[in-house]
Amino acid sequence: MLDFSILTEHFPDYMAGFLNTIKASVFALIGSFILGTIIAVMRISKYRVLRAVGAVYVEFIRNIPILIVVLFFFLGLPSLGVRLDGFTAGTLGLTVYTAAFIAEAIRAGIQSVPQGQSEAARSSGMSYMQTMQHVILPQAIKLVIPPLSNQFINLIKNSSVLTIVAGLDLMYFADIISSDTYVTFSTYIFAAAFYLVLTLPLSFAALALEKRLARSA
Amino acid sequence: MITFHKVDKFYGDFQVLSDINLHVETGEVVVVLGPSGSGKSTMLRCINRLEETNKGQLTVNGTRVDDRKTDLNKLRRNIGMVFQHFNLYPHKKVIDNITLAPIKALGVSKSEAEKTALHYLEKVGIADKAQSFPSQLSGGQQQRVAIARGLAMKPQIMLFDEPTSALDPEMVGEVLDVMKTLAREGMTMVVVTHEMGFAREVADRVVFMDQGKIVEEAPPEQFFSQPREERAQLFLRRLLNH
Repeated sequence: MLDFSILTEHFPDYMAGFLNTIKASVFALIGSFILGTIIAVMRISKYRVLRAVGAVYVEFIRNIPILIVVLFFFLGLPSLGVRLDGFTAGTLGLTVYTAAFIAEAIRAGIQSVPQGQSEAARSSGMSYMQTMQHVILPQAIKLVIPPLSNQFINLIKNSSVLTIVAGLDLMYFADIISSDTYVTFSTYIFAAAFYLVLTLPLSFAALALEKRLARSA
Repeated sequence: MITFHKVDKFYGDFQVLSDINLHVETGEVVVVLGPSGSGKSTMLRCINRLEETNKGQLTVNGTRVDDRKTDLNKLRRNIGMVFQHFNLYPHKKVIDNITLAPIKALGVSKSEAEKTALHYLEKVGIADKAQSFPSQLSGGQQQRVAIARGLAMKPQIMLFDEPTSALDPEMVGEVLDVMKTLAREGMTMVVVTHEMGFAREVADRVVFMDQGKIVEEAPPEQFFSQPREERAQLFLRRLLNH
């Protein structure tokens, strides 16, 4: 059965890890959203070079394990003279990795708005930016919310790779608690509960938003 | 108003338009006929550069459309376009569909744009739908909104790309009626369509295309009663036999 003394006695450790997991997730979420949007726009650009760079990024990053991406920032960069602490390296790796998936979600969303929409807007004399802002993106966002919220939930769970580079996240502290106390089952169950505290509300919020946008269509 | 001079267009190796020469006068209604794949829509879409030409000169209202330096947005404000599939913005109400471009591209105030929008909605006979979303309208109503949207920019030219082809038969008439009114009021119109009745009744001139070329150009009564070219004769015979 669950040993609640683990939770009460090691609550400060859990909280320290929990807060670092939140911090890493928020940084990576903002970073990967910005980077992913830039890459998505590159991938639908009319310039071949930009499209190629975007495609290489996405195909390269999303087809290797996140662990290797994170280890690159932690172990690979020092050989280039850049030394990062575990938290920073882990968060950067998480950002770069997630951005590839977010780019794909956003690109797919923009591209599934029918071509006729931009033709109608452009042929009425609106600029590319005006067309994006008033016609394409408002329609794309509805299509992008479900895959995007999936990616954000994955990001929070994937933040547990920070453990491997001593990133002081929730999983890292759970490992310490279990090796100090030899109580493994309860320790990790409580860690899981902390992750759920973050991911479940996000999941429900995404669902609610999706429903609201569907109604306004 | 619109002049094609020796215009060619290619998709890769495939020539979609070859040696197009056409002149449309101010106030003229030109109907473009021809089998599917003959390049009618492509030619129409060159006029506001939704498609780029590869050779020759294309001039609209004194502006070279094929010139890279031409301000496309400025050119397009003067050319309304109506599409086969309406292409209304589904996330915006009818009134906002119509006011968007005048507000953003012309810089008209919101209240003035709405006044204009209502004027044209009345003209196409659906002022009561101003606050509806496009999905709540029938196909014929949607296409009439699309026409009002084009007119709200007060363009000198209106282009119609098979405006009735996606409509249920009983809704074709209401859209054609709006177009007839426009034609009578002196709008310069280029219409790609399969509606022979419309061509016969409204066109000042019929242009028949086949395989990327303009094969025949004639006043409608002449084109329909005694087409000169064999391909035009064949085309008309096939249509009448159905």
